[in-house]
Amino acid sequence: MTSPLPAIAAHDLTLRLGSGDSAVEVLRGVGLTVPQGQTLALLGPSGSGKSSLMAVLSGLERTTAGSLTVAGEDFAALSEDQLAAARRGRIGIVLQAFHLLPTMTALENVMTPLELAGVTDARARAEAELEAVGLGHRLNHYPAQLSGGEQQRVAIARALAPRPPLVFADEPTGNLDAATGTGIMDLLFARRAEAGATLVIITHDAALAQRCERVITLGDGRIVSDSANHSVPA
Amino acid sequence: MSAALPWRTAWAIARRDLSARFRGLRLLLVCLFLGVGALAAIGTLTGGIERELSTRGRTILGGDIEVSVWQRAPSAAEAAALARLGTVSTGSRMQAMAKAGDLAVPVELKAVDARWPLVGAARLTDGRSVKAPPPGQAWLAEGAAQRLGVTTGDPVTIGTATLRVGGIIADEPDRLGEGFTLGPVVLVDSAMPAAAGLTAPGAMYRSKVRVALPPSADPATTVEALKRQFPDAGFEYRTRDRAAPGAERFVSRMGEFLVLVGLAALAIAGIGIGGGVSSYLEARRTSIATLKVLGASSADIARIYLLQIAAAAIAGSLAGLVAGVLVTPLFAAALGDLLPVAGGLVLDPAALVRAAAYGLLVALVFAVPPLLAARRFPAMALMRARVTPLPSNRRELVLPIGLGLAAIASLAMLTAAQPLVTAWFLAGALALLALLGALGWAIRAGAARVPRPRSPLLRLALGNLHRPGAQTGALVTALGFGLSAFVLLAAVQSSLDANIDRRVPARAPDYFVLDVPRDRADAFRAAIGAVAPGAEVRTVPALRGSILAYGPKDAMVRVSSLKTIPEDAWPLRGERGLTYSDAVPEGNTVTAGTWWPKGYAGEPLVSIDERLAQALDLKIGDYLGVGLLGVERKARITSLRRIDWDSMGFNYVLVFSPNALADAPHNLAATIDLPDGANDTGPLLRALVRGFPSSSVIEVGGVLTQARALLNQVSVAVLAAASVAVLAGVAVLLGAIAAARASRLYDNVILRVLGASRRQLLALQALEYGLLASVLAGVALALGSGVAWLVVVQLFEFDWLPDWGEVLAVLAGGLALVILFALGGSLPLLRAKPAQALREL
Repeated sequence: MTSPLPAIAAHDLTLRLGSGDSAVEVLRGVGLTVPQGQTLALLGPSGSGKSSLMAVLSGLERTTAGSLTVAGEDFAALSEDQLAAARRGRIGIVLQAFHLLPTMTALENVMTPLELAGVTDARARAEAELEAVGLGHRLNHYPAQLSGGEQQRVAIARALAPRPPLVFADEPTGNLDAATGTGIMDLLFARRAEAGATLVIITHDAALAQRCERVITLGDGRIVSDSANHSVPA
Repeated sequence: MSAALPWRTAWAIARRDLSARFRGLRLLLVCLFLGVGALAAIGTLTGGIERELSTRGRTILGGDIEVSVWQRAPSAAEAAALARLGTVSTGSRMQAMAKAGDLAVPVELKAVDARWPLVGAARLTDGRSVKAPPPGQAWLAEGAAQRLGVTTGDPVTIGTATLRVGGIIADEPDRLGEGFTLGPVVLVDSAMPAAAGLTAPGAMYRSKVRVALPPSADPATTVEALKRQFPDAGFEYRTRDRAAPGAERFVSRMGEFLVLVGLAALAIAGIGIGGGVSSYLEARRTSIATLKVLGASSADIARIYLLQIAAAAIAGSLAGLVAGVLVTPLFAAALGDLLPVAGGLVLDPAALVRAAAYGLLVALVFAVPPLLAARRFPAMALMRARVTPLPSNRRELVLPIGLGLAAIASLAMLTAAQPLVTAWFLAGALALLALLGALGWAIRAGAARVPRPRSPLLRLALGNLHRPGAQTGALVTALGFGLSAFVLLAAVQSSLDANIDRRVPARAPDYFVLDVPRDRADAFRAAIGAVAPGAEVRTVPALRGSILAYGPKDAMVRVSSLKTIPEDAWPLRGERGLTYSDAVPEGNTVTAGTWWPKGYAGEPLVSIDERLAQALDLKIGDYLGVGLLGVERKARITSLRRIDWDSMGFNYVLVFSPNALADAPHNLAATIDLPDGANDTGPLLRALVRGFPSSSVIEVGGVLTQARALLNQVSVAVLAAASVAVLAGVAVLLGAIAAARASRLYDNVILRVLGASRRQLLALQALEYGLLASVLAGVALALGSGVAWLVVVQLFEFDWLPDWGEVLAVLAGGLALVILFALGGSLPLLRAKPAQALREL
């Protein structure tokens, strides 16, 4: 029996931003393989390159050099539009600042990625997803009418609604108080478990990292450490 | 790679993201509303006038063709030729005095035969549908009856004939075709003027023959044949498609101007649309990036935002169409006396479709650059700096913008009545856009290169002009167009006002008198001296004739052989007043050649207007042939004169030596200047009617009032139309400032957090806009007055008389508006506490 393809296979990733004298090398030869269904924390101080690594792994940014295969697709060879198409329905992203579309209701925010992926029963699925994150009573509220925690729940519902096999979360509790943050993470992990998705969390919160099966620490654009977290059952 | 999002799904997302009442796209809405509204109104109005002229042309003219000639009836051969063409109605027109009891009134006498009216029906106020009055009767216009104090059955004396008022005219079908008249009309039978002694040889009257052609005959071809048959008859022709005298020319001028205004409004609107869409998409950066994070491709983004912009564009255009249709009756009311326009609401589908097509094409052309830039906006923008300008790729703009511009140009050229004017305008608008674009670039480059000033505020203000994401280019274009529109309006308005004052002269005689018998000149002066002591009377011999040929003696050009009349050679058209004199006429200056001696008896000589000489390249020693009462007479040009046209006295283009014309039957024309304070003119008019029954009087005061009213109407119509362009300019101006201000919001909040006072921030903005505005004021002054000059001088052929004080004041007002709006909008933010402002970011 052949082992299934890894969710992420990266080798020698380099990301250079800017040009000429002002060019900055943000990632310097990063390599990692993430099996399907794994939970992974990317730790590191500000400027260590963890958000940039997430951007490259999720196809938001094209790598300058190196090879990258995500869910069987060669991301290094894809154009910006092809990356967008590759994300559709397959990669869910939760951002620190939520980034809900301010002109759409909670329901419409969750429906949008489903519609982009061509799902026919987008409304019903979005309603079910919001129900699952405990916002069944807030379907028609606009982001400005929701609390920070509620907005982040909508963001999670939006990221998970298309049932992507791979989910990224960039500092998902960074804009929330501790109690709300814990509740949000419980929800994220629970929903991930139900879907069996691979989860990559970017954080500088060591306690949050300890909830993942694997912790990679970045420093100055390189992987400093990569360890399995034995307290979490794989 | 999967295909782009289906349009239906794209619309579902677009509709959701499009907040209520198109917030953010209002500039686009307003600009399209104004541009499309202006074009819809203009199209509906000119379409209506053209239809009215063509459908009612036959009625307005009173036939299919009209042939008129001065001071004679058509000869037997001419009459026979005309009679062969179809059904003919003949008659004559002249100025005359009508008298009833003690009251005397100058009237326009219209003598018609039994066939009148060939087309349409004449009605009297008592409801009777009538033809020509029977001998001994007259139909009077309401105004004539009122001023004479008469009603049906009363006697009225005209010339030596006494007539009975047979009725008051309610509807005279060919009224509009008669044009500008110098008094209320009195209709009589065609034999009456001769019987009353009004058409004696030399009398100033005009014979008119109207012909109703068989349906198969083409009026234009018929007229061409007549011209060939009677090249030197001095006939003036009109056909049913050019029925209203002056209206055709005015409609054409006004049409050109209105089309220019519409296109200008749309060009200005286009800039607003570009700016509006750009700032809308700028504000949507986060949403676009978020959609991309969620998996939207650049094609999906293009579809979603194209649909939003199209929805707003359609809404703005529809509102514009409705407004255009609704304002047309106002234009119709303003121009009602000048042009044949139907009142009430008019729906002209072709004009509306054309206006909407222009609007949507302009929206497409100007919205494409920001839309394509937004399409390529990266998902990573969510995590990157906010000031990064949207990336642009000029090559991908070429096709859609090229196609859009080609479509606009084709539409404009194909539907233009004056393609040349339209082509020039399109080229001019493009050049203007390019010029302002280059100026914007130069200001940015200049601001980046000047040494950093010591003052931190000045340094920041300069920095704001060239930093990444600066709105300098958009502001320069918008302010340039907006301020130019202000200057244009002020210059056009003040020029028109000055023209009205100048063209309606302050020094004018009180009366013109026509047909004073030349052997009774002294009696005429004596009669006036008796009733109006101190009145100044001038008399000149008055004849009418047309120029038939001109040029060197052995190579004279026949006017009938000219395909087009040279510019400024208007005296070649139709018949002109001719006179002769021993001395240089008062108010004239000889600028070349010499005047003939008193009592000269040699070869016939003539002195001509220097402008006519210039237009026809005539020199001293050349010859002129004029047709006078059917006979051609030649005279040698011995002098050129400069004529003071502003004095409304006797100004003749052609003045002959007395021996050239004195043998032709003619009368005298006279001007009477009453002494100041002589208001009661009743005795004067009565004396004239009694002593000189065949003479007619024109009251200059009434004519001037009528002329002033007409010019005022033109001025109002011009300004109303031009103000649409100015409104579009103001909308664009305010929109650009609002957009630039939005992009400056972040800086202002941060500067406040860093300790900048409100006063400092206001000073910073005032400095920035002050720098821009001072550069653009000069540009706007040059551009606005240049275009105004074209409108006033080239299009309307008025004199260029702008009131520079007023123009500068209006420009200063525009600059103040810019700075006030720029500062005013920032006040709420500046009033807030820094922490509160931070939360509002």
